[in-house]
Amino acid sequence: MKKYLFIFKSEIMTNLQYVFNIFVGFIGYFVMLFILFNLWEYLYSDPNELINGYSMTSMMWYVVITEILYSVVGGRTLCKKISNDVKSGNVAYNINKPYSYIGYSVSSHFGNMFIKFIMYVILGLGFGLIFIKKLPNLSLVGIIFVLVSSFLGLLISTLLILSIGLFSFYIEDSGPFYWVYSKLILVMGTLFPIEYFPTIVQKILVYTPVYVVNYGPAKLFVDFDIHKGIGIILAQIIYVIIAYLICNHIYRKGVRRINVNGG
Amino acid sequence: MLTEVKNQIKVVFLSIKYSVMRELLNRFTFISNVIFMMLNNASMIIQWLVLFSLRENMGGYTFKEVLLLWGIASSTFGFSRFFFYKAFSLSSIINEGKLDSYIVQPKNILISIITSDISVSALGDLLYGYIMLVFYGLSIKSFLLFTYFIITGGIIIAAISVILNSLSFWFGNTDVIAETGNHLMTNFATYPDGIFKGIAKALLFTLIPVGISNYIPVHVIVNFDLNLFLINTTVCIFLIYFAFITFYTGLKRYSSSNLMSSKI
Repeated sequence: MKKYLFIFKSEIMTNLQYVFNIFVGFIGYFVMLFILFNLWEYLYSDPNELINGYSMTSMMWYVVITEILYSVVGGRTLCKKISNDVKSGNVAYNINKPYSYIGYSVSSHFGNMFIKFIMYVILGLGFGLIFIKKLPNLSLVGIIFVLVSSFLGLLISTLLILSIGLFSFYIEDSGPFYWVYSKLILVMGTLFPIEYFPTIVQKILVYTPVYVVNYGPAKLFVDFDIHKGIGIILAQIIYVIIAYLICNHIYRKGVRRINVNGG
Repeated sequence: MLTEVKNQIKVVFLSIKYSVMRELLNRFTFISNVIFMMLNNASMIIQWLVLFSLRENMGGYTFKEVLLLWGIASSTFGFSRFFFYKAFSLSSIINEGKLDSYIVQPKNILISIITSDISVSALGDLLYGYIMLVFYGLSIKSFLLFTYFIITGGIIIAAISVILNSLSFWFGNTDVIAETGNHLMTNFATYPDGIFKGIAKALLFTLIPVGISNYIPVHVIVNFDLNLFLINTTVCIFLIYFAFITFYTGLKRYSSSNLMSSKI
């Protein structure tokens, strides 16, 4: 565990050198929120109106949180990095090192996300307070639940994207699979809560990554309930185990296909 | 003059042809990139189905008109990335001093650079737009206007990218600025202009000209307006001119990195 903590810390130190880039990246996040705020303002003719159980304020806070989680993951870069590691043979350098490639990639990516997450939370909350003005009612327990749930959501996301990236062992470019995955997460759980979908679709979505990656943490932020919180975190723990097993299976099978040529 | 233009166009098409042939070496990757990009775009239809279940009209757009807007956005994006892919990474070419191999060629430098590579997935974007046009309602008029507007829109996007990337001649690494500019154009392009008000709406028709490249085409295809058509064309010509001026003014400041490279 100590070695993974060291990788995590090193990645944080590296990222501290590029804080300006993270700030510039925030422009994209700001623009997306600006568009969505305009959209919801247009849809809610009366701010006190409830659509599928969400007021305009809670809907806007929902997208603030989901967009933070969606932007912080930086899935496209992660998927490309893993894919390039496989294609270039870099992954072979990790075989004889005293750590697991998956553990290394996860801790390195968490180091990458750490500064980004803190900055996005501060800026996202600031942006929300300026435009939405009112914060949802959230107790200290609620905040802890949201933070734990966000951590687990980011972990599941990282493991699933890693699995997609590792598909490069079998096909040359796994990028297209990531596009579809990320769009589904965006459309089904980031832009709207699952309550916006027909009942039958909602029942299916509860079992998909959408529920544990974005919807869970954001739902707890806008409408905290201890029972729901425990349910979401339990579902996330189960998902972490499943996602890890899938990732590990793809890696173990794939790494046998490596041919190393000296040079 | 005319022969020169003809030759340049021939070179552009040859360059794109060879890029396609290179990419076709791995047919599976080529086809999967195109198909998955279309699926990727199609997933956004879900968003609009949900929104239209709440309201019948979104900022003055019907569902079919939103599909048309998506079609225009997707195809202009695809056109710009397929034909002028290198316009989006011009900054790094300038910073790494890799312009030498283009400068020695007896052809237009800017055009040679930006057409020297293609994005395969952009072909999926380009084709997806036409599928949306079919859903909107295909006719000879709508097909011709759509094709014309994706050309002007694609050129507008590429020209803006050239202008922003060319800032590297003066300010060094400006790829983040260029990337942000490109993101702004893409993010606003798929939402109806009717949901924006005041300054935001004014910006979309000036500083971030999504209004010119995407909203005007939808309005013209739905209800032909010669003035709007001419505005789109004029802005496109102006931006081409401005992109060339910016690039060639900046080029005078370029210094090579003494890097040996070849173009095969």
